[in-house]
Amino acid sequence: MSEAAVAKKPARRTPAKAKASEIPATVQGVAKGRIVQVIGAVVDVEFEGHLPAILNALETSNTDQRTGQPFRLVLEVAQHLGENTVRTIAMDTTEGLTRGQPVVDTGAAITVPVGPATLGRIMNVIGEPIDEAGPISAEQSSVIHREAPSFDEQSTTPEVLVTGIKVIDLLCPYTKGGKIGLFGGAGVGKTVTMQELINNIAKAYGGYSVLAGVGERTREGNDLYHEMIESNVNVDPKANNGSTVGSKCALVYGQMNEPPGARARVALTGLTQAEYFRDVEGKDVLLFVDNIFRFTQAGAEVSALLGRIPSAVGYQPTLATEMGNLQERITSTNKGSITSVQAIYVPADDLTDPAPATSFAHLDATTVLSRDIAAQAIFPAVDPLDSTSRIMDPLVIGEEHYAVARRTQEILQQYKQLKDIIAILGMDELSEDDKLIVARARKIQRFLSQPFHVAEQFTNTPGAFVELADTIRSFKAICDGEYDHLPEPAFYMVGSIEEAVAKAEKLAAEA
Amino acid sequence: MASLKEMRNRIGSVKATQKITKAMQMVAAAKLRKAQDAAQNARPYAERMGSVIANLAAGVSGGDAPRLLVGSGSDRRHLVVVATSDRGLAGGFNSSIVRAARERINALLNEGKDVRVLTVGRKARDQLRRLYGDRYVGSIEAGGNPSLEVAEQISARVQELFESGEVDVVTLMFSRFRSVVSQQPTALQLIPVEVGAATTQSESTAPYEYEPDEQAILETLLPRNITTQIFSAMLENQAGFFAAQMTAMDNATRNAGDMIASLTLQYNRSRQAQITKELIEIISGAEAL
Repeated sequence: MSEAAVAKKPARRTPAKAKASEIPATVQGVAKGRIVQVIGAVVDVEFEGHLPAILNALETSNTDQRTGQPFRLVLEVAQHLGENTVRTIAMDTTEGLTRGQPVVDTGAAITVPVGPATLGRIMNVIGEPIDEAGPISAEQSSVIHREAPSFDEQSTTPEVLVTGIKVIDLLCPYTKGGKIGLFGGAGVGKTVTMQELINNIAKAYGGYSVLAGVGERTREGNDLYHEMIESNVNVDPKANNGSTVGSKCALVYGQMNEPPGARARVALTGLTQAEYFRDVEGKDVLLFVDNIFRFTQAGAEVSALLGRIPSAVGYQPTLATEMGNLQERITSTNKGSITSVQAIYVPADDLTDPAPATSFAHLDATTVLSRDIAAQAIFPAVDPLDSTSRIMDPLVIGEEHYAVARRTQEILQQYKQLKDIIAILGMDELSEDDKLIVARARKIQRFLSQPFHVAEQFTNTPGAFVELADTIRSFKAICDGEYDHLPEPAFYMVGSIEEAVAKAEKLAAEA
Repeated sequence: MASLKEMRNRIGSVKATQKITKAMQMVAAAKLRKAQDAAQNARPYAERMGSVIANLAAGVSGGDAPRLLVGSGSDRRHLVVVATSDRGLAGGFNSSIVRAARERINALLNEGKDVRVLTVGRKARDQLRRLYGDRYVGSIEAGGNPSLEVAEQISARVQELFESGEVDVVTLMFSRFRSVVSQQPTALQLIPVEVGAATTQSESTAPYEYEPDEQAILETLLPRNITTQIFSAMLENQAGFFAAQMTAMDNATRNAGDMIASLTLQYNRSRQAQITKELIEIISGAEAL
């Protein structure tokens, strides 16, 4: 690799490499090559003279096979094969490419627009708008491959991020700048929970959020965009002369229909958006990645095409590195914080599968959405016993919060153990104490549900934002048996305990 | 998902539970026959006793009648004797007696009566002692098989409370054994003796002469009657208990069987999945090389 190639490698080099950067980037934008081989999403390009650096973006044009329209095709260098040839991953379809077709080296990694102009917009992995609302007029742009913040930049004080969702705040409190895994299958409410988080945090903090749709359904992405507008998180450009000023969420989509290259990079594009708000504007940002498993899955597809020998369960041998590079960038600095909520699909419900297992190592809090709970129509369907948080520590969240959370879990745990006895022998065999535990546990289970703002149009129930102090107070009172006299349905889909009391009175009046 | 080993352990523990419930079901079935015979054989005695007293009662006039027969003339203070078994694992048997007792006690309290509670059997004690702390006057263990000694002990205690003037009305709560599948929680008033209208009519065809007089006979007969009724109730309870236990354990065995079946299915599936995964890994690894 030539000196010039190193110099162009963007943002990957710290000032220690200042010597290299002194060399003027004379070859930028002019190095040309030609395609020598196309294998699905992988394209080999031969250059004369210098070679583009690894991770550089190359450009060529391709024709849409359906509409006949030409479009810009970006290739990312993945390997140097020798004999002046580089192996690249295509960020879009490769149907229609021909051998010998010219390719231009852009001299930098994939660069995407960042900043307030991206809010309310949808872009794809290479930063192009895909919401048919005109070009994104961002003043700044940034490359998607960057280094994680250094040690001295990182913020070390764990702070609780209040989400207004009772079960999350009580049992798996989120950390500002933490990484949260949202484990769940299809239809248990991952998307709604995410929307509620966006909605609540945008309301309470005026904070921005970024949503990276990675390899999930295009329809869901589309629905989400429109729901954002309906719930006033974003401004509709169509109703507002193409302007999205006042929006709070930037969307980056690389959904299921995209080739693996795009799906493997779109999470980075989303993260780059979030990093701008953190580093330049000093904001607290929420980053949603739905679904981090697809990131890994796309990486595995690409890996196989690149000819790497698969590792355990057919995953790429570089699984942990890829995940580490992404996750290490999601962190709090002394300027601002990025809090990421990552939906994680668990293949075959096996948490020891390499893909979820490598994500686990990075997570600060895990919120497990369970099908059993969703089947009881308790939403959010958070499993109170499987969900944990790193800051579940009396030194961080305070003695009272800690004690109440543990007692709540204890009661639910005892109920779970009694369930086998109830299943085999029936309720009658329980002692009076156990019956009381069962009754309280069932109330707690129902009280863990909560009406969502974003679901108002479906449930006809106004959403509830519950302050942390109210949450703790309410659960403490239930554990202490202060509300043993209220019927179970009173605890279902309410905010604080006062609402439960009011609902009990209403139920009594109706009966 | 739980690991294969965890699932195996769980299946093992459910199987062990099933063995116990199955054994208990068979033991209960064997004991049921004896208890059922005992209860049914005791019934004529209790009934006859009732009718004899009814007959005698017809012969005594208001003023000089024994207090055990006509009561203390007040019905303000009630004693509820709740008889259950000592042991559990009999489905809703004990709870239904206790529930019926609680309903009765609460109804009496609502009427403004004063209520005292005496329990027979450990289950009633466990469930009621805390609920009626200051109204609770004590408990007597039922012991294994119903014995006349225990019945006499209870009877003595009841009469003592009555004679000392602490209570006016005494009711016994127990479960009447109707059939193997049906036990009915029943309230039986012991003091004052309820004289059934039906029995007096059918038995009063022939006039009886009593020697010594009715009152003297009643004086000795009434305490005996209380003991007999309590003993009979205990026998009924015992039969009902075994019947309920047999049904409950039969259900439990079946529930455990269902649970084992679904766990085994889950276990086999995940075992199969693991084998498939390993095979794919080996084959694709070999292909890649």
